[in-house]
Amino acid sequence: MDREKLIPLEKLNQLALTEEETERVLAAFAAMEAEEAQLAETDTSAVERMVFNIPLKNILREDAAEKNFTRDQLQEGAPEKMDGYWQVPRLVE
Amino acid sequence: MKYVTDMKAAAGKTVAVDDTILVKGVPATAGSKMLESFVPLFDAEAVTRLQSAGYTVSGKSNVGEFGLDVMGETSYFGPVTGENGSLRGAAAALVADGDADFALCTDLDGAPRRAAAAENIVFIKPTYGTVSRYGVIPCACSGEQIGVMAKTAAGAAELLSVIAGHDDKDGTSLPEKHYDYTASADVSGLRVGVCADYCGRASQETAEKVRAAAASLGVCEDVSDGRLMLARPAWRILLAGETCNNLSRYDGVKFGFRAEGYKNIDELYTMSRTQAFTLLTKMTILYGSDVLSKGRYDTCYDRSLRVRRVLRNAADELFGKYDVLAMPGCSKTAYTAEELGDSIDAVYAESLFTAFASILGLPAVTVGGIQLVADSMNDELLLSAAAALERR
Amino acid sequence: MNYETVIGLEVHVELATESKIFCSCSAKYGAEQNDSVCPACCGMPGMLPVTNKHVVDLGIMAGLLTNCRINRVTTFDKKSYYYPDLPCSYQITQWFSPICVDGGVEIETSQGKKIIGLKQIHMEEDAGKLVHDDWTDTSLVDFNRTSVPLCEIVSKPDLRSVEEVIAYLERLRTLLRFARVSNCRWEEGSMRCDVNLSIRPEGSTELGVRTEMKNMNSLSAIARAIEYEQARHIDALERGTEVLVQETRRWDDVKGQSFAMRNKETAADYRYFPDPNLVPIIIDDEWFDRVKSEMPELPEVKAARYVGELGLTEKDAETLTASRAMCDVFEAAYPLCGSAKDTASWLIGDCMGMLRKKKLTADDIAIDPVKLAEIIKMVTAGEINRNAGRRVLAAVMDEDADPRAYCEKHGLAAQNDEGAILEVVKKAIAANEKSVQDYKNGRTKAMQAIFGSIMKELRGNGDPQTIQRLLKEELDK
Repeated sequence: MDREKLIPLEKLNQLALTEEETERVLAAFAAMEAEEAQLAETDTSAVERMVFNIPLKNILREDAAEKNFTRDQLQEGAPEKMDGYWQVPRLVE
Repeated sequence: MKYVTDMKAAAGKTVAVDDTILVKGVPATAGSKMLESFVPLFDAEAVTRLQSAGYTVSGKSNVGEFGLDVMGETSYFGPVTGENGSLRGAAAALVADGDADFALCTDLDGAPRRAAAAENIVFIKPTYGTVSRYGVIPCACSGEQIGVMAKTAAGAAELLSVIAGHDDKDGTSLPEKHYDYTASADVSGLRVGVCADYCGRASQETAEKVRAAAASLGVCEDVSDGRLMLARPAWRILLAGETCNNLSRYDGVKFGFRAEGYKNIDELYTMSRTQAFTLLTKMTILYGSDVLSKGRYDTCYDRSLRVRRVLRNAADELFGKYDVLAMPGCSKTAYTAEELGDSIDAVYAESLFTAFASILGLPAVTVGGIQLVADSMNDELLLSAAAALERR
Repeated sequence: MNYETVIGLEVHVELATESKIFCSCSAKYGAEQNDSVCPACCGMPGMLPVTNKHVVDLGIMAGLLTNCRINRVTTFDKKSYYYPDLPCSYQITQWFSPICVDGGVEIETSQGKKIIGLKQIHMEEDAGKLVHDDWTDTSLVDFNRTSVPLCEIVSKPDLRSVEEVIAYLERLRTLLRFARVSNCRWEEGSMRCDVNLSIRPEGSTELGVRTEMKNMNSLSAIARAIEYEQARHIDALERGTEVLVQETRRWDDVKGQSFAMRNKETAADYRYFPDPNLVPIIIDDEWFDRVKSEMPELPEVKAARYVGELGLTEKDAETLTASRAMCDVFEAAYPLCGSAKDTASWLIGDCMGMLRKKKLTADDIAIDPVKLAEIIKMVTAGEINRNAGRRVLAAVMDEDADPRAYCEKHGLAAQNDEGAILEVVKKAIAANEKSVQDYKNGRTKAMQAIFGSIMKELRGNGDPQTIQRLLKEELDK
């Protein structure tokens, strides 16, 4: 990771770092990347990926609709709302 | 000894609930400016269960932002410190000081395990899937778990028995309806493996504590397995990737913090997130995004999912030989806010000891300032071993 | 130079379920803004996704209808990007192991038959909707559609013309509607289409620069957009009007133009990874076979059977098989009343007419087939006449009335007793002296008035021909 690559990464994640923060983050990346080498050295070609720590499958629910929350409850803490909608600056397509 | 968890026994017993766990109508901030105004509309399943068993939620305990830090120091509301200036985890302090009988804590990257070690009390992170995560403010869903903080192993067993059990609302919840951890298992002649690699990376005092504890528990020997050192980088990658994704919902649009003075949607997003998150959170998001990116996914994220399997294989071998593994839960048991700084380096350093149990969802208990880890579903054995250490 | 257009389509259809894919909110179209919403739908933390089983059933069905291979182990993944209609800033979709792969749909155009290959079909959640408010110059967010289940059907770049595209989309729509996978309503957004298009010199095997067009919600818009893009690409190639770049474009149907979408600088990296909250779905033989057994007979097969085995006209068979609901009523009713032809005639002539009057479509038919068969039987047996039958049918369709009880209550039983009718005829002749006189004076039309009073007396239930005959006999005596 370097300064140049970090800028689009910040943009993609809607963050803007200060100069000082950039230094710190680059240093942290360097430390973590150094340890990634250990992973690279591990032969994982013969092992399957393990996404879950539980041996479950087919956890499904029946198709039945329920209504447990009202719009007013859900919009109580909305930063901005209008006529039952959440409100944001106009989007230009 | 059998602990009864009926209403009568529970009457008057208080539980502090970490601010990463939802209690209906009570703000849940996850220690972040982002969620300062967020009021949840429902109870976490664990909270519902303890309340219906007659326990009282006596308050919310402060956490570091989203639970990502060493033990609460990155909270927007400031850290909790002791008289001598050293850091205290809020939930652990409440229990240690007798202000609450128990606490529910989210263990994402070891923070409550370290906090319990600092207070010399007990914390158990149970087997992944035994306690519902419904109502946990999520970061790394594949490994995070609600656990119980208590003064004693028996206390932890009591409350864990109340909150554990299948929940339809959590698609990773194991099928067992109820668990009872209160009957103590026979721990005589316990086979204990001492993780030498981890001991070598902790303070001498901590390492000695681990060896002494292991020796008092039963038959112990040092184990060294290079694979265990893969847990930290692999868990960092999985945790960061998942956290990056889960925290992307906080954008200033629907609830929580919205910055002022934006001119368009991108400014609204970027200013809100930049102003609300601490540097540790930002760094975690950026690293997580990087390890999931097109060019890096295969060598980082996918590889870490495979390393998880390598570690699982290592766990199968180790738990074939040993009933429990003894290791440090943290490098030392006292930290000051100054030495942690922005916490980025300290979290990475400390997660060396906690990542193995986190990435595999193994039950881990902090007792007497050290950590014991058992294989999945051996929580009862683990708590009995912890109780044996207390009696020592 | 002659050019060939190469087109691949990504078709999104909303699945016909009661509830959303990962939470229990209603998935029905048309609720008030943000009324079918829960904390998960507006991005709040704490709820966990649990998959709706019916969505998987419909995903398998979609694959069977399009000759896909069903992946017996299928999983969900997360896709990240920021947009206000995406409350969590991630979408749960299928990236690594979609439910269906490698299929094909046969289409028929003026060039003959052709198979359009399918790359895959995957299940995912829909996004919310934005409304732009000119008064406040803001955008307003509605999360009702958030997490409504979708199947995305991804074709191979096998399409070459507008005609093929339209034929393909219509065929997909027929299949999906017939199997009740989706109602595929363009106007409600439950069927949507993105078009990937490139141009190459005829005979070339390399693909040209590809553009993707979004935001098309009707067949005519799709046709216009394709024609516009073809012309734009060819202009660029031949006359150098612009340099083509691979990009996403938005079709503006009012202006009749496509526009490059902004936000190119953060060339999307969706950062897909497996969702750790959704464990694998394993489709065993039992599950697979159950869905397969629920697969309907396809409309063209049905129509051929209706003509060949049941003796319907081709026109009637085609009319009925345009709607799965009509076919269901037809197939349940005709064995009960014993006449396929009569049943078809009642459904096409009467039921569809009544639906049209209410501005409903054939798919909206809601009638108990047992009751329909009962009405047909009563008319055939002469227990009621055809007009009375229509009245009963209306009552059954409107309020699910019981046909026999309704007839009794409203005195609709046909009067078939000639003696009784004769009595009424005689009474009417006695009561209409003037009309009788007029008739006898040669004004045959005067008989109509007497006939009318007889029908009135019989409350419309007499057989008109019997009445005519008896009346004439009496008058001519």
